[in-house]
Amino acid sequence: MAVTSPPRDALATIPPLRRPRRWLVLAALLVGLALLVVLSTIIGPLTGTQIIPWSTVLWIVGYHLTAGLLPSAPCPPSIHGLECTVQTEIVWGARFPPLLLAVLVGAALGISGGALQGVFRNPLVDPYLLGLSTGAAVGASILFTFNLAPAQQATFLPVLAFLGALVPGTVVYLAAGGRARSIETLLLTGVALNFLFAALLDALLLYNPSSGVQVNFWLLGGLSDATWTRDGIVFGVLLIAGTAIALHGRSLNVLQLGRDVAESVGVDARRTTRRIIVLSTVLTAVAVAFSGVIGFVGLVSPHVVRRMVGPDYRLVLPISGLFGATFLVLAWDLAQSVVPSVVIPVGIPTAFAGAPFFLYLLYRRGGLRGGGRSAG
Amino acid sequence: MTERTVPPLTVEAATVRYRDQVAVRSVTLSVPRGEVLALAGPNGSGKSTLLRAIAGLEPLAGGSVRILGRPLRSFSLRERARMVAWMPQEEAPGDNVPLLDYVRYGRFAHVPPLAAEREADERAVMAALADADVTTFACRGILELSGGERQRARLARVLAQETPVLLLDEATAHLDVGHQLDLLGRIRKIACRDGRAVIVALHDLNLAARFADRVAVLSHGQLVAEGAPPAILSPELLARVWGIVAVVRRDAATGLPYLIPQLPLGPEPASVHLPRRPKVHVVAGGGTGIPYLRRLVEEGYDVSAGALPLFDSDTEAAEELGVPVAVEIPFAPLGLEARARNRVLLASAGAIVVAPFPVGPSNLANLEDLREFVPRIPIFLIDPPHGTSLEFADGRATEVREELARRGGVRVESVDALVAALAARLRGPNDATDGPPGQG
Repeated sequence: MAVTSPPRDALATIPPLRRPRRWLVLAALLVGLALLVVLSTIIGPLTGTQIIPWSTVLWIVGYHLTAGLLPSAPCPPSIHGLECTVQTEIVWGARFPPLLLAVLVGAALGISGGALQGVFRNPLVDPYLLGLSTGAAVGASILFTFNLAPAQQATFLPVLAFLGALVPGTVVYLAAGGRARSIETLLLTGVALNFLFAALLDALLLYNPSSGVQVNFWLLGGLSDATWTRDGIVFGVLLIAGTAIALHGRSLNVLQLGRDVAESVGVDARRTTRRIIVLSTVLTAVAVAFSGVIGFVGLVSPHVVRRMVGPDYRLVLPISGLFGATFLVLAWDLAQSVVPSVVIPVGIPTAFAGAPFFLYLLYRRGGLRGGGRSAG
Repeated sequence: MTERTVPPLTVEAATVRYRDQVAVRSVTLSVPRGEVLALAGPNGSGKSTLLRAIAGLEPLAGGSVRILGRPLRSFSLRERARMVAWMPQEEAPGDNVPLLDYVRYGRFAHVPPLAAEREADERAVMAALADADVTTFACRGILELSGGERQRARLARVLAQETPVLLLDEATAHLDVGHQLDLLGRIRKIACRDGRAVIVALHDLNLAARFADRVAVLSHGQLVAEGAPPAILSPELLARVWGIVAVVRRDAATGLPYLIPQLPLGPEPASVHLPRRPKVHVVAGGGTGIPYLRRLVEEGYDVSAGALPLFDSDTEAAEELGVPVAVEIPFAPLGLEARARNRVLLASAGAIVVAPFPVGPSNLANLEDLREFVPRIPIFLIDPPHGTSLEFADGRATEVREELARRGGVRVESVDALVAALAARLRGPNDATDGPPGQG
């Protein structure tokens, strides 16, 4: 009569908690992306107007990266004296800082794009589409136009860029906090802000054509002005703000269920939103200050990453940073090599890849009103 | 030991404003440990707003909410999330995260910032999965689940919060009846076992009566009734709060009330295409009505019956024939509700047939209620077989029968005689033979 089956009960109490395959995939992904970044930083210095053999490039980069440990001489034995100094100057002094800047700026845009998408619970936003980048560009260009503090440009550029980005940042924050926070409103607000700030930028640059900075740099992005100091500043800001953003992964996960549910579970939705927007604005501002407006990196990176690792923001945020870095480095390599002896603005290749991607996302959702979120 | 005696949730004179209007006005209630309180009320009566206020999502314009005796306002956001769990009516779809991760969201306030989930958290999550019976779906994406499964997943998420107070807003919305019973049964069990205080906003009053220890009824933001379901669910309350006419009965097995809403008594639906079947109401009892019910149905009349006790053989025959009956619980005098329903049937009848049924004090009302219809509706009184008396009510039954006969009631002796008399009276000479008009 008592035909109970303990094995069944025992089975029921052992849920398949661990999914080792997912972690394996994740680890492979991380290693792969990191390798890609390293690889492109090695390829990067090869590209440029003057051809330097890759063995020399490897030698010089290796010498400087390991502080003279691995190759103990600054140049290969075949290169002597002045030639060595020239080539070192080209590779390490001129070509490497922009490359590093591409890594840092790509990471900054990738992380802030992922965080903004999380906070607005919408996969169609990024710092560029929300107008943050153009606002920052306006702020930064004030410094050039009026030639303020020419000696401390590296310090003041990001500050002014941040002040400039605060304007669209505030508008976007208010739009996010208001009751009518549909994605149409948000994106069209971004479009309007973009137009407004692009016009302001033109006006500023026309007001003082001798400011020596091209409109192209600000509107389409450029990494050629990179220096070690600037790289250091971006690195510092990225380390602090990027880490701070990445620590909000758990809150952002819960926030996807709506503000009320998030609050009922213990997430301060308002504070999280405010912090994420401020931190993303900081990251965007510092990126724009030294590299101009580079679009779509922040849009594309989190998307691709979500496809790969799933929707967990604790993973999406840092990996978006890595992906953004890779994306921008590749774009930079392309920008330098696609037309011989001309460096095109880096925003062009990112736009070529990103804009169709944006359209694809838009239409896959069935237009702006399409209810379905990207599940990937 | 105050832990034991202080109720997990007390609401004192709580007033909540919502968009410049007072949505909840001075509501006072308290939920002790292990109790399930059903919050009922029409749409827009303030149920959701009250729950949101208790969850701390709407500010109080007056009064107070206390959790374990401590004012809600004195808790930080994270503390509050360990005290009150709230399951909303609707939830943003969110990302397609695995159910296990989704339920872990419920532990947010238990996990220190920047730390990972500890063993206690994982144990709470596993227990919540088991309580909501979603362990088997733990690795499935939340958006891939069916409606019933997702609702249970949401229950698991709030259970994982391990709070003394649990608020469930329309927990059974969009669920089929099987899932409704299942979900509420689980909630009931969990409340009892863990000693949690649970408030469930419910639209279905029958479910509320079945699963809740107490029902609180809100109307226009005010608490209009509160108490055990049998004590407060009455036709008067339903009419006053929901504006419906409903019959409230007791479940013979559990003694719990259940209600059957009636269609509003308006103009009858147009039946242009169907020939109108004359309505005949049969008053009977103790099986005396069976031959008449059967024959009248066969003759094509629209038959109703009442008021009859639940297990009466007349009732059973009527149900078998698909005849609507005004029913009273067995072995009890006819109550006001059964009589009211009977009167509704009487009022719409084209003719009334009084079977030769024994009349005692408990069903005398059946005869007495006929008096108001006498001249207006033709009434047919079946005479009892010779030598039998129907009188068990001290002569009152005979008295009323006499009065009915005097005021136009037609006395008939057999089923055939009744059918003939009815046909003559209701269908007219032309229709009596079932032939096409004009033939007779």
